[in-house]
Amino acid sequence: MHGPSHVRVVNLSDREAGAEIVEACRKGDRLAFRELYDLYKDRVYSIALYFFHGDRTAASDVTQQVFLKLLANIGQYRGEAVFSTWLYRLVVNACLDEARARKPRAVAYERSRMEAAAGAGSQESGYEQAQVAESVRAAVASLPPKFRIAVLLRYFDELSYDEMAKALRCSMGTVASRLSRGHKMLAERLKGVVE
Amino acid sequence: MSIRDHLPLVEAPESVWEAIEAKIRDHERRAMRSPSRWRWVFAAAAAILLAATGTWWFERQHAGWIETSASARTTLRIGDIGSVDIGPNTRLRVVADRADQHRLDLAHGSIYAKISAPPRLFFVDTKSGTAIDLGCEYAMNMDEDGVGTLRVTKGWVSFQWEGRESLVPAGAMCRIRPSGGPGLPYFEDAAPDFVQSVDRGAVDAMLGSARVRDTLTLWHLLSRVAPGDRARVYDRMASLVPIPPAISRERALGLDPDTLNRLKEELAWKW
Repeated sequence: MHGPSHVRVVNLSDREAGAEIVEACRKGDRLAFRELYDLYKDRVYSIALYFFHGDRTAASDVTQQVFLKLLANIGQYRGEAVFSTWLYRLVVNACLDEARARKPRAVAYERSRMEAAAGAGSQESGYEQAQVAESVRAAVASLPPKFRIAVLLRYFDELSYDEMAKALRCSMGTVASRLSRGHKMLAERLKGVVE
Repeated sequence: MSIRDHLPLVEAPESVWEAIEAKIRDHERRAMRSPSRWRWVFAAAAAILLAATGTWWFERQHAGWIETSASARTTLRIGDIGSVDIGPNTRLRVVADRADQHRLDLAHGSIYAKISAPPRLFFVDTKSGTAIDLGCEYAMNMDEDGVGTLRVTKGWVSFQWEGRESLVPAGAMCRIRPSGGPGLPYFEDAAPDFVQSVDRGAVDAMLGSARVRDTLTLWHLLSRVAPGDRARVYDRMASLVPIPPAISRERALGLDPDTLNRLKEELAWKW
């Protein structure tokens, strides 16, 4: 599966993978796959991390699954949708599948996990801010899965309603409804905590 | 600050890429080994021939998986370094059998390994991680989902999964599970309350019921709890076993590998 070893200049600040990288990946170029991974890994991991209330193991599992599925199925990507939309469909499926699989299990270390997640990427300082952040994350994690994933997709890539509809395999109206209800629930749960 | 500001982008750990690469390599290795249709036909004919000549056991031991029935047991010699007793309903195969590495792949079932060799020469891969012999005897069982236990009777075994390691000494055990890595190791003579708290991941209960010997578990716990919880884990260990001043508490809380190693060596006198 080793492809051409030419050097490709990639601007990692780009939010969307170029067609050239995706095409190279489709042809089995391992370097291109690594570039795609580098471009999206943090967004995929973060969405999964907040989806699973700071469970780093679940986030790692989902990130692995997403990129392995991406590698296995990229031949099916025909460019009919923005690449990230196609990728996020994999993320949505992986998160919802993992959530279903994990449902019966007891949740242990929940508090510790969330604190660890917060510590991993947060710039917050001070006890009060940390408490607010924890409240926000807990509120997000408490949303019903379909609302939660919609909210996280919106936050992490600012997808349009059309793109979100494709990723979530639902109508734009449903997207609007899930976002609206999700935000309303968050607002209620975080009344007095966040502006 | 808005809600969005409290959900910062978190960097994916390097272990995720390592796991992806390992799975790709594994997939490619299997694909290379996967025989063509004609080879399957040939293999089937060969298997029939072998069965007819009564040499079925040879084929099973050398060309693929070794499987035992519900009432069968067998023993596998591991070069000149030891042996593995294979329990009933077990499926495993030899992946490497070289002077510098002996490696088995356990799909499910139970084994008892007796190895007398330098550390890190004998490995057992499972879907939940790899048991690495550090000079020992141990029993391991695992179901088809990758759930099981590792019990060490002599020496030490390291069980590793994606960068997470449980070091299990003689008299101790740890649970094996398909995701999340090996459980915290604990001594089998630990109090039932302590064992329950380990299984539940109840940090406070673990700290409250730990004995001197249970610092084995607490030492592993130190690097698995949230940063904010580390101090009380460390302090509980220090209350059970005097820790020399040369071991820096701050560095231990920062999970400095050398300091953790020195701390382990200090605590291990009591294990």
